[in-house]
Amino acid sequence: MAEVTRKRDKPLQVNPVKLSQPMGATLAFLGVDRCMPLMHGAQGCTSFTKVFFTRHFCEPIAIQTTAVTDALAVLDGGDYSIVESVKNICKKVSPSLIGLHTTGLPETKGDDLRGVASKVGYPLVYVNTPDYEGGFESGWALTCKALIEQLVAPAATVNDNKLVLLPHVSLTPIEVENIKELIESFGFNVLALPDLSTSLDGHLGEKQAALSSGGISVEEIKSLGDAGLVISVGESMRESARVLLQKNAGMRHHHFSHLQGLEASDSLVELLLDETGFNGVTPKVERWRQRLQDAMLDSHFSLGQTRILVVGEPDQLAGTCKILHDAGGRVTLAISSVDSPQLEKIRAKRVLVGDLEDAEAAADEYDLIVGNCHCQALAHRLRKGLVLRGFPNWEEVGNPLKNDLLYEGGAYFLYETANAAEEMRRKTV
Amino acid sequence: MSSKPKIKDLLDESACEHNKKKKQACNAPKPGATTGGCAFEGAQISLFPYADAAHLVHGPITCLGSSWETRATKTTWPGRDLTRMGFTTDVSLNDVIFSGEEKLVKAIDDIMARYSPEAVFVYSTCVTAMIGDDIDLICRQAAAKHGVPMVPVHAPGFVGSKNLGSRLGGEAALRHLIGTLEPETTTPFDINLIGEYNVTGDMWQYKHLLDKLGIRVLATLSGDGRIKDIRCAHRAKLNVIVCAKSLVSLTRKMHEQYGIPSVSLSFYGKRDTSKGLLAIAAALGDPGLVARTEKLVAHEEARLEERLKLYRDVFVDKKAVLNTGGNKTWSIAAALQDLGFEVVATAVKKATEDDRARAREYLGEKGVLMMNPGVEQARLIDEKGAHLLLAGGRSLYTAIKKGIAFADVNQEKKKSYGGYDGLLNLAEDLKNALENPVFKLVARRAPWQK
Ligand code: SF4
Repeated sequence: MAEVTRKRDKPLQVNPVKLSQPMGATLAFLGVDRCMPLMHGAQGCTSFTKVFFTRHFCEPIAIQTTAVTDALAVLDGGDYSIVESVKNICKKVSPSLIGLHTTGLPETKGDDLRGVASKVGYPLVYVNTPDYEGGFESGWALTCKALIEQLVAPAATVNDNKLVLLPHVSLTPIEVENIKELIESFGFNVLALPDLSTSLDGHLGEKQAALSSGGISVEEIKSLGDAGLVISVGESMRESARVLLQKNAGMRHHHFSHLQGLEASDSLVELLLDETGFNGVTPKVERWRQRLQDAMLDSHFSLGQTRILVVGEPDQLAGTCKILHDAGGRVTLAISSVDSPQLEKIRAKRVLVGDLEDAEAAADEYDLIVGNCHCQALAHRLRKGLVLRGFPNWEEVGNPLKNDLLYEGGAYFLYETANAAEEMRRKTV
Repeated sequence: MSSKPKIKDLLDESACEHNKKKKQACNAPKPGATTGGCAFEGAQISLFPYADAAHLVHGPITCLGSSWETRATKTTWPGRDLTRMGFTTDVSLNDVIFSGEEKLVKAIDDIMARYSPEAVFVYSTCVTAMIGDDIDLICRQAAAKHGVPMVPVHAPGFVGSKNLGSRLGGEAALRHLIGTLEPETTTPFDINLIGEYNVTGDMWQYKHLLDKLGIRVLATLSGDGRIKDIRCAHRAKLNVIVCAKSLVSLTRKMHEQYGIPSVSLSFYGKRDTSKGLLAIAAALGDPGLVARTEKLVAHEEARLEERLKLYRDVFVDKKAVLNTGGNKTWSIAAALQDLGFEVVATAVKKATEDDRARAREYLGEKGVLMMNPGVEQARLIDEKGAHLLLAGGRSLYTAIKKGIAFADVNQEKKKSYGGYDGLLNLAEDLKNALENPVFKLVARRAPWQK
């Protein structure tokens, strides 16, 4: 479909969009109720991560560090710093789970995480997420997989009404909630893993950030094994679905590359109709489908004359490029933070694993950018339109409620993008 | 010879108050109970504001990927503003196994070819320090090849805290930049601003006053700084340390090597800004300059008072509780008092002995120094009848529960509160906070809870 460029002879990243694996892991653990993400490495990675998410979500973020120092690094195989961390955390709070994830430092030394984890004597899930491999999306996915492998109890019977949703890292809290709600309208009991929709959705509550507040509970994770159906969204989540299916031979799985635009939304609804034997949807869903159709038509003229650059994580690119393409948007370039099997399927003329320096070099190819707040300087300098999406977005508030998914979110997204394109044209003439 | 500074020496730094009391303790963060950034972040804070230099982070993606474009350090540099760019070698597994040196060499060449900066800072980070990449050698060779300074910065995160990292950043500037170029001209009133990073343009709130007085800022470390200038910094008559204890070791060494004395001050709030300007004039030792400064300070204070009149009625009899850390525990308290607030309590949990003493000085005997603000602040708001809570975002809920106004201290990362004019920004924001109905409204019970 697209012309994909993956491996390149570039010795550095200039203005990177890539984010690290441990950061994706942290975020996944924040989707587990009363969890304390514990990042194994020197203190800085944790501090940067905390500030990064605090600013993006405008919420306090729970996270701790094993605070490895150079003196310790040489002597210790992780035992001291991890065991000590758990002790110190438990002096102050009682998490339901410790979410231990690594950074490059302990991985370079070769710490034996599994060995140490067995000595801790506290509910803990561990995952290896060196930041010299993978990226944000894979860190989240590996963590989800670890949660399943280490917590979910194998089961032999299935509950046909129980459904597990495995969302990729770029879905916002409200998007996860909307998927859950749609599925629930078909009578299912839906559990999302991880579930940011009840933890980082930005609700007023007594939040001291001592622990994550909301998300799927550890008990719920443990008993996911008897779910009749698993729905994964995003290529990065396939592996998690695979390991979940190993817990129960009776479980069935459906995969969606993404859930943006008319076709993808239709196929989810079609699946749910098939599975339940329902012969229709709620009036509200029906209405929103009509509104999306209308939005596609209302925005097609503007988008049809707009050349678009989309920047982000692979699974996010897949959905965003598709919905824009379907309304006539000319996605001339998609820049992905990392490589992924998803890239081949992306609806763009050209797909590049790259950075914002590459975006700048290709400035002639697009009029509008859909991407994170690092794109703002670029859009400003090159006088391009801008729709802010993805991590980080420190320029706008309300990120947890940005909704681009399914019929409803799709309509809003197309309107927002078409309006941004028009504003850009007004400014540049 | 390695340019790696001896960490132990820096930690034992005699000029650092903090270290007199607890020497080793500063260097040992507690696993599972540590907040705050790493040494790399500290070095980044102290050096990144040079907009005419490229800052190349040699490490995996976390270090730079999560942190670039986080600090609004403004610049007048007319070329491409490199503070708004991020460069990293983004080392991969392959580099970890076989060394990242080749990649680093190519990355520097690439940067020179595309952006021709005045210098390149190369930062080692945990992983690249661990695998032993020789950034000293690479920098030396690259400097010879490209003819501009290449500065190795040895502050990988695992050596310690942000504070130590800032010192290491200063150390790198001293070793590789300061004293490598002579200024075209000098004046008797040449100063360096050390530790002023011009976040949100803080420096510009008082720089014009220095200009008026005929005081020339020869170089800065590093707000709105230029590589050419910092290379000439050894010719200054005075080092002015702006709110940055971490750079005391740098100024002490400059005193030893170049005989430059230093003063330490803050430009936050009316009284401190005035004191700061007078201290600079006094240290430069020219009676004429001192007289001119006194006059200017009087004029500026009167002008400020005039403009603050608008706010007097709003702030009179208002009580504030302050919950922040470091030197802000007293510097913001002082600014609040300048505006007419009574500061009934300030958090000193994350402050040094020195900061605590100054907080006490400003708050007086009646003021409460909170050692455990998370618990104490709610009670104190009730007891003292406070109207405003000035704190980090996580305290917002406390203010709402108590039905009082809230202001986020971190707003200063977006807007300058420095100097005389910055105080007006602060006044406006606090007035808006006090007048905003939102804090009471969101505390409303839901209809189904009545
Ligand atoms: S602790 Fe080490 S790896 Fe983490 S951000 Fe700091 S320098 Fe980078």
